[in-house]
Amino acid sequence: MDLELSEDEAALRDNVRSVLASICPPAAVRAVYEGKGDPAAVWARMVELDWPGLAVPEQHGGLGMGYVAVALVAEELGRAVVPGPLLATATQFVPLVRELGAESALAGDLLARVAAGELTGTVALAEGGRWEPDAVAATARETADGWALAGTKVAVLDGAGADEVLVVARAPGTAGAEGLGVFAVPRADLAVTARTVVDPTLPLADVALDGLVVPAGRVLAAPGAAGVAEALDRAGQEATVALALGTVGACRVVFERTLEYAKVREQYGKPIGSFQALKHRLADMYLAVERATSLGYYAALTIAEDDPQRAVAASMAKAAAGECQRLVAHDGLQLHGGIGVTWENDLHFPVKRAISGDALYGNAVHHRARLARMLGFLPSEKHDGDDPEVVA
Amino acid sequence: MRLTFGDEVEAFRREFQAWLAENRPSAEEMAAEPAVASAHLPGWARAWARRMFDAGWLVPGWPPELGGRHAGPVEVLAYLEELTRAGVPRTTNPQGLGIVAPSILDYGSEEQIHDYAMPVLRGERSACLGMSEPGAGSDLASLSTRAVVDGDSFVINGQKVWTSGAAYADFCFLFCRTDPQAPKHKGISVVLVDMATPGITVRPLAQIARPEHPDLTEVFLSDVVVPRSNLVGRMNDGWAMANGSLAHERGMVWLSGVMMLEQEVAGLRQTAPAALARLAPADRVVVADGLVQSCIDAAAARCLGYRGFAKLVRGGSAPEQALMKAFTSEAGQRLALRSAELGADRTVDIGPTPDSPVTGIERYFGSFGGTISAGSSEIQRNIIAEKVLGLPR
Repeated sequence: MDLELSEDEAALRDNVRSVLASICPPAAVRAVYEGKGDPAAVWARMVELDWPGLAVPEQHGGLGMGYVAVALVAEELGRAVVPGPLLATATQFVPLVRELGAESALAGDLLARVAAGELTGTVALAEGGRWEPDAVAATARETADGWALAGTKVAVLDGAGADEVLVVARAPGTAGAEGLGVFAVPRADLAVTARTVVDPTLPLADVALDGLVVPAGRVLAAPGAAGVAEALDRAGQEATVALALGTVGACRVVFERTLEYAKVREQYGKPIGSFQALKHRLADMYLAVERATSLGYYAALTIAEDDPQRAVAASMAKAAAGECQRLVAHDGLQLHGGIGVTWENDLHFPVKRAISGDALYGNAVHHRARLARMLGFLPSEKHDGDDPEVVA
Repeated sequence: MRLTFGDEVEAFRREFQAWLAENRPSAEEMAAEPAVASAHLPGWARAWARRMFDAGWLVPGWPPELGGRHAGPVEVLAYLEELTRAGVPRTTNPQGLGIVAPSILDYGSEEQIHDYAMPVLRGERSACLGMSEPGAGSDLASLSTRAVVDGDSFVINGQKVWTSGAAYADFCFLFCRTDPQAPKHKGISVVLVDMATPGITVRPLAQIARPEHPDLTEVFLSDVVVPRSNLVGRMNDGWAMANGSLAHERGMVWLSGVMMLEQEVAGLRQTAPAALARLAPADRVVVADGLVQSCIDAAAARCLGYRGFAKLVRGGSAPEQALMKAFTSEAGQRLALRSAELGADRTVDIGPTPDSPVTGIERYFGSFGGTISAGSSEIQRNIIAEKVLGLPR
């Protein structure tokens, strides 16, 4: 396999990086953190550049880029700690709408409006801290007025800001991969509670579904329709790997700043980076970042090429990104000494982004536990949507 | 990025697979006369080297007269993958094939190429590498074995240690000091020393794993006289070979670490489920997590290696390749210990067992060869920090 970026891929990455440096410099991130900036301004520039339609198929007016391109953009969003709706829209909302059948009028309309920059979206999937479709307990019961939903969704990325929320619920009495359905609900119709979180660039909200009735015209996939579990698996992998690479992107910045600091900060008359204790920790940080980047690119490729390894690869990428975060965010703060824990230093922005990215869609521990089942080390509790054969 | 190589590489791979199936040494042959040290050439190994050399499969990247076929780097990668997958060693004299012969081809005289390098390639002679000394391990440039010019000869006195395979090698590629007045990197030369020369004593150093098969040795040299024509390259210019010798197939050395790790993971996945089933449920969860981490290590090593390799093939640089040695050897070490621990009450049993000639704990002790030799993990981290990350010395 060829795991290095092609010329086109490198050009895309460079272009995205330079645009983000201009539309979302560190000062803009700080402004969002301090409640003085508006992520909408960043989004408006992205709309001008047609970025919302990145992953929308061309037939719906999008750019129709493959998953490798999406993954590279996600890495850059993490690297620049970019706020706003692009991440949830392009890596969670669009993939699920597309997987559930861009042939339906509702799906086509949603995708076209995203591509036109008129609509932002997200996915309300997690319950009780778990993102696997099997863990969905929220129910959808068909009534004369439409589908009556019940339950609570947690940690919805951009849940208080997105225009449209895809709510995953199941037919009462079903379990596992059976009976799952997806509803497209305007956020204004939902009882949303914004969470208070460390990283305002990855804002989260909980959604109470009790009392919500979704009209038939807003059903993206009726509970029990064919292929919903597979669509949720595939879209979940896209979201997971995007978060993995975003986490790695943020970690890379933490690493680069720490390395730079170790070269200029002097104690005992020499740069602290000349001490072997620090050299070895920086070498380990570098390994953690490169290791997680490589697994992230591999996972992105398996998704782009629809390889049967994509479930295993996505979980490995997310686990490695989380492990990277545990080392790099920690050592980044530690090696900066006191200055790293001051609000006025920008280091805490990528640190918090990395920790938040690890926490979403299952952290490192969660994905290792999934892998233990997928690889046959632990009995399978449930449907994981995976090919039990491994890997690379 | 893409998951597969191009059609022409796959065609090359199939050609080698077909040749290998016809020409490989059989498992029975290899088991009947196992290679017990790294310069030991059993009969099958000599014949195997010769078949590969003649067919142009020994060093595919080289020209036919040197046992190759002008293969490109990606083809060489496919070749190494297939060899490993088939469970066939490329050579039982890795120092000879990988370091000594290439260095002689680069730096040696026509006569040295004829008498030393070509016989190594054809499996007729084996070589050991005389580098480390009691006072010169990681700091190799401090070596003190002396070679003094006496007319048309060198007279050599000193001691080498950790010399792999010296008890079986036909000759030694010996680093010695030829100018004690010069700065330490500038007074070193390389001399070819036939191991049968009077004055050489080899003492095997039994290791904590498999003491019955010592590979490492101490080599004592007392008034050893060799012709001056055995000097490789220029006088006092040997340090270039200490660095350069390890650079052969530099883009490829990572692969053996990766493939060894993958083979061990594959073995673990075979045996783990039954072993895990014997554990209490809570123990099983914790142990399984360790096994998963080893699986992630193996996949990550492959991805990281391939990524750097792709950069090199495109003519760029791949500084992250410097990470591979410490990463794969340490990951292998973690895996060996986990595999031993999986045995619960059998953790400390030694082999052979019905399943395997060596047990996990023996592999664990053996794994220190990977984390210590050829630049310890600590030296690797220094190299990464200073040469790749640019931290001050």
